[in-house]
Amino acid sequence: MDMKVAAKKLGLKERYAAMTRGLDWETTYQPMDTVYPYDKFEGIKIHDWDKWEDPFRLTMDAYWKYQAEKERKLYAILDAFNQNNGHLGVTDARYINALKLFLTAVTPLEYMAHRGFAHVGRQLRGAGARVACQMQALDELRHAQTQIHSLSNYNKHYNGFHDWRHMHDRIWYLSVPKSFFDDAVTAGPFEYMVAIGFSFEYVLTNLLFVPFISGAAYNGDMGAMAFGFSAQSDEARHMTLGLEMIKFMLEQDPANLPIVQGWIDKWTWRGVRMLTIVGMMMDYMLPKRVMSWKEAWEIYFEESGGALFKDLARYGITIPKCVAQATIEKEHITHQAWTTFYQYGAAAAFNTWIPEKEELDWLSEKYPNTFDKYYRPRLEYLGEQAKQGKRFYSTTLPMLCQCCQIPMFFTEPDDPTKICYRESDHNGEKYHFCSDHCKEIFDHEPEKYVQAWMPVHQIYQGNCFKPDVDPTAEGFDPLAAVLDWYNIQFGRDNLDFEGSEDQKNFDTWRQTAKSNG
Amino acid sequence: MSYQLTIEPLNQTIEVEDGQTILDASLRAGIYLPHACCHGLCATCKVKVVDGEVDHGEASNFALMDYEREEGSCLACCATLQSDVIIEAEIEVEADAQNLPVQDFNATVTRIENLTPTIKGIWLSLDQDIQFQAGQYINFHLPNETTSRAFSLASAPAAKNEIELNVRLVPGGKVTTWIHKTLQVGDSIKISGPYGRFFVRKSAAVPLLFLAGGSGLSSPRSMILDLLNEDCTLPITLIYGARSLDELYYHADFTALAAQHSNFTYVPALSNVDADDQMWAGFRGFVHEAAKAHFNNDFRDHKAYLCGPPVMIDACITTLMQGRLFERDIYTEKFFSAADAQQVRSPLFRKI
Repeated sequence: MDMKVAAKKLGLKERYAAMTRGLDWETTYQPMDTVYPYDKFEGIKIHDWDKWEDPFRLTMDAYWKYQAEKERKLYAILDAFNQNNGHLGVTDARYINALKLFLTAVTPLEYMAHRGFAHVGRQLRGAGARVACQMQALDELRHAQTQIHSLSNYNKHYNGFHDWRHMHDRIWYLSVPKSFFDDAVTAGPFEYMVAIGFSFEYVLTNLLFVPFISGAAYNGDMGAMAFGFSAQSDEARHMTLGLEMIKFMLEQDPANLPIVQGWIDKWTWRGVRMLTIVGMMMDYMLPKRVMSWKEAWEIYFEESGGALFKDLARYGITIPKCVAQATIEKEHITHQAWTTFYQYGAAAAFNTWIPEKEELDWLSEKYPNTFDKYYRPRLEYLGEQAKQGKRFYSTTLPMLCQCCQIPMFFTEPDDPTKICYRESDHNGEKYHFCSDHCKEIFDHEPEKYVQAWMPVHQIYQGNCFKPDVDPTAEGFDPLAAVLDWYNIQFGRDNLDFEGSEDQKNFDTWRQTAKSNG
Repeated sequence: MSYQLTIEPLNQTIEVEDGQTILDASLRAGIYLPHACCHGLCATCKVKVVDGEVDHGEASNFALMDYEREEGSCLACCATLQSDVIIEAEIEVEADAQNLPVQDFNATVTRIENLTPTIKGIWLSLDQDIQFQAGQYINFHLPNETTSRAFSLASAPAAKNEIELNVRLVPGGKVTTWIHKTLQVGDSIKISGPYGRFFVRKSAAVPLLFLAGGSGLSSPRSMILDLLNEDCTLPITLIYGARSLDELYYHADFTALAAQHSNFTYVPALSNVDADDQMWAGFRGFVHEAAKAHFNNDFRDHKAYLCGPPVMIDACITTLMQGRLFERDIYTEKFFSAADAQQVRSPLFRKI
């Protein structure tokens, strides 16, 4: 009798290979170097794209199905949250300022990540890497969209959410995240993969996501928590893509090692500087705190990052030099940043405040080496002044670091009472930096960083007023004109939380929700 | 009660305790499943349930969708078994894996020999033929006890009803002490096997490099004898390290094999000999140093098999990678313990 022999079932790897086979054909009408013009100038040598191991094997068909169901769930939760007036369930209205910061600073980066991965996906020759980048490009677009939708409900009730896209391109502190990503997307494709795919998505992502998403959960924000979980289920794919890219470059040619090391050093520091703002949010802006910035740094960088760099050492990669400074600074930067934002609270699109006594106690406990000694007295002094009706607002503009664009408030690594200033000369001009590491980044590529759009310089040059403004007119108020150009409504979006419209509305609405009045 | 879990495409069946997750059971059995967060959020460990029932545990609704649950997916880090289960996981199919069935054997001790001051050779005659792949191990059961220990098979698979084990006396080790002090020729014991996924990737047909330290010589010895029995013509290099000459066993045998087979090179290395000791003309230093010197820091286009103490394995992996041989071509007899699953470990490497 003739027996039907079952064909040997293909493994997942073979099935995926069969589906993606031949997507990286050799072009004949045009030379390959014309079709892929950007993947050689950085000096990265790739000999065999077939050695690329697909970090995940997801097909478009499965991808759509998966994301569609995630969207349905997310929007069901958002609908329920919004219809229930979920915003009144958050710990207190100060929390909502963390969301304003997120929407104006982080959400536009998701969109830039989408653009970056779409671009890089087009420029890499290997089919596996291209497909993975395209998938991530779609994820990032979805993340931007879900965040905008989640937070749009807050825009109905609170100030500061109304023009986040416009603000992202203009406001002084938002130039920090904006310039970070602009730096990455204007690099070559391999540097972009190290900057975003590896340093940001792998080494630093937990420091960004865990505080925000756990912060949302701790503070009763179901909406933000839901988009967080929905995004986190994509993060594993993003991390493995970054890791595979690093391994791939290091295994392809020994000449790639110093280039990759340089990028890891640079982007670890760029990321650490940018995360100052996240650390500040954790320590100061969440009414119910998850963990301190110092604790987060210890768990997610020193422990997890340490394990990673131990493995990378096999390739000859060393832990970035800047980590030593970041480790010292973990006890300082959030306090320095919040004190700065407090003083520039008239020029920010969110409210600022002095922490309450028990919050100061929490900070004293979490930062036993530094808080009582350096920062608590300042905050208490500023709080005392405010109580006497002398709430302090700085009306001058700070010097910015030419690299990270953060105001120069960081102190010397070995002296927390002395502001750290560094400078470099280039073509007869002087450039200022917050640290040795930012200076080094500049010195390596000065032609790139001299082009930076520095918010303070731009204000002084008169580029931050609306077109019909006449700065020579009598009684001209430059700060008011800049805020107008930012589309910050004075007295509503800015200033102290105490006495703000958000504070009053939240209290009134919450009272109304709980009583028959 | 426990259930059986069969993992495809390996076609390997393991026991899973009540309440134990699929991931935990697999890692403990030495089967690496991709994983990351270990608490149901990231979906890295998603596997297909081909047959049987699982409890999804704490799997997040965003990491494991309803439609996926209906289609029979689960997250290995959270899923526990409700019946015997067959899963299909994202594991590379190994062309050279024979997936031989595990069996129980009654064995009689036929010979015991002191190979070194701390290592005994134990020869066992089996009540039935055993089929194994060179590099695999057996579990050795103490009489009247549930305790068992794993020992690599030191003999070639060709001798079907006699096997050889090389047992180092571990200070304070219950089983090795019993073997060294109590076990006699003529005793009957029980073993089960073969286990393990450490075997030669013969189909790759590239030069082979064996790095062994101490009693880690067992598997490489079995593999090399097997290859030479089959008239393998590819270059084979054994770099074998010990502290001192009296700990270097089968030295004469390997020297003779190297003389017989032009494709076999034997490089012994001693790490603890006096500088003025004229007796030793070979390499002085550790295995990884000997390897680097012998290959002039270029290991490309080889496959390497590593066996020995963890510090030796670690140093050798670094040396191989610096000499441009990477994870896909490096094989170790690594067991993932429950502690490995919990400790902070970067996901950069999967199997080394």
